[in-house]
Amino acid sequence: MVIQVEQLRYAYPGTTKPTLHGMSFEIGRGEIFGFLGPSGAGKSTTQKILIGALKGYEGSVTVLGKEIKSIRSDYYEQIGVAFEFPNFYSKLTVLENLRLFRSLYQGETEEPSILLKQVGLEDAAYLKVSELSKGMKMRLNFCRSLLHRPSILFLDEPTSGLDPVNAAIMKELILERKAAGTTIIITTHNMQAAEELCDRVAFIVDGQIKLIDSPRELKLRQGEKKVRVEYKIGSELLMEEFSLHQLADNNRFLHIMRHYEVQTLHSLEATLDAIFIEVTGRSLL
Amino acid sequence: MRLIKMIRHDIQFQWRHRFYFAYMVVCSVYLLLLHGIPSGYKEKTAMLLTFSDPSALGLIFAGGILLLEKDQGIHDCLFVTPLRLTEYLVAKACSLSLLSLIAAWVIHGFSLGMPSSPFLFSLGVLLSSSFFTLLSIGVVVRTQSINGFILLIQLYALPFTIPLLSLLDWGPRMLYSLFPTYGSLLLLSSIYRPIALHEIIYAIGILIVGNIAIFIWARHSFQQRILLG
Repeated sequence: MVIQVEQLRYAYPGTTKPTLHGMSFEIGRGEIFGFLGPSGAGKSTTQKILIGALKGYEGSVTVLGKEIKSIRSDYYEQIGVAFEFPNFYSKLTVLENLRLFRSLYQGETEEPSILLKQVGLEDAAYLKVSELSKGMKMRLNFCRSLLHRPSILFLDEPTSGLDPVNAAIMKELILERKAAGTTIIITTHNMQAAEELCDRVAFIVDGQIKLIDSPRELKLRQGEKKVRVEYKIGSELLMEEFSLHQLADNNRFLHIMRHYEVQTLHSLEATLDAIFIEVTGRSLL
Repeated sequence: MRLIKMIRHDIQFQWRHRFYFAYMVVCSVYLLLLHGIPSGYKEKTAMLLTFSDPSALGLIFAGGILLLEKDQGIHDCLFVTPLRLTEYLVAKACSLSLLSLIAAWVIHGFSLGMPSSPFLFSLGVLLSSSFFTLLSIGVVVRTQSINGFILLIQLYALPFTIPLLSLLDWGPRMLYSLFPTYGSLLLLSSIYRPIALHEIIYAIGILIVGNIAIFIWARHSFQQRILLG
């Protein structure tokens, strides 16, 4: 396992109420793992502990075989972090920013211009960061986290504030890194992004993990094993549901398929949103 | 080496935000001012200007730089790289001390010519500037705005100006010698008078001790208020 967490508890200095109450989970090599939960649930605190920004925790947090409490600055040679807000030196150009961050690593690094090309920012290399759009900054943020070829990537709300085109580009970039063998930890409250990207998700509410599983398993397990058909007879729109069990032998279903104009056809697995609400009793917003 | 790269980057950052241009204007004003001072007072005035401005340049600039960096939200990103906080702080102190040194030499060179002891003069400027830069960093992390910073920095810097009273021969020397800035005044006074060996040893010693103490305080403050804040 790349990450092993056992009975993690954390309270911010000066507060008596703990933010995390005994979390345990494991993340395997090459996995995309998502932390899902509403604001204030403890997702960001968990990520801050995993990236070594908060060390006063109880329990055990091991990343790449090292207890986080005892890590030194060379830990950051192995992990890449892209925060939700893509912050850069705004008066420096895109390339100057990447060159600066690249110079802080001692291990092998990527050539910034190659990374920029991969994310479609090669034409923006000499623009000041203050001149970039949000979508461009998010891609640049992603680029920065990859400069030193990290084996683990922490992404905080990677599609936050992006239009559908840029969100799709970002998802594609993340999947490319997974294909290259990088372990990716995503913190988000965007269920759709989590569904599309994550191998497993953890639902976090009030500093506790309520459930961990793959989105597909969750959707199938919690959903109805049915298919819903919307079809038209003349100008009338009708809807019927059929059990998936021996659907190919269901005469009524086959009749509709053969004789009427089918408008939509959907299996009724649950959505992650619905599962989250059912499991936690809370909405993500 | 990472420290050298950070120093180079800090200089680039200060250049891009026109800090050097702003300081060139200030230096020009000082040169004009010194030009109008009668020759009998010129050396002491130059020493005071060197103490109060190029040396203390870090006081204002370091605060301004940190506020700009805070505003750009850069600290979180910097400290998820192998960069150590010590390297970050030392780079700030070095880059601003270098700027102070250049400014001090320009002011002094154009008004009085070569200082009688260039090494002690330079050392005085460098150690004083790094002291004030680190003081400024320790203060600015306690504020959110430029106005708050300007108010608070006066409060923190005021005690370190007490040794200036020694120029008027007020009060006991023993009291002043507790302040690192008394060491600054001694080293900078080398521009117009010879300094005894014991004074040199004391001045360098107190400035080094002061720099170490203020570094520890600034580091702790930054850690608590920026990285864990």
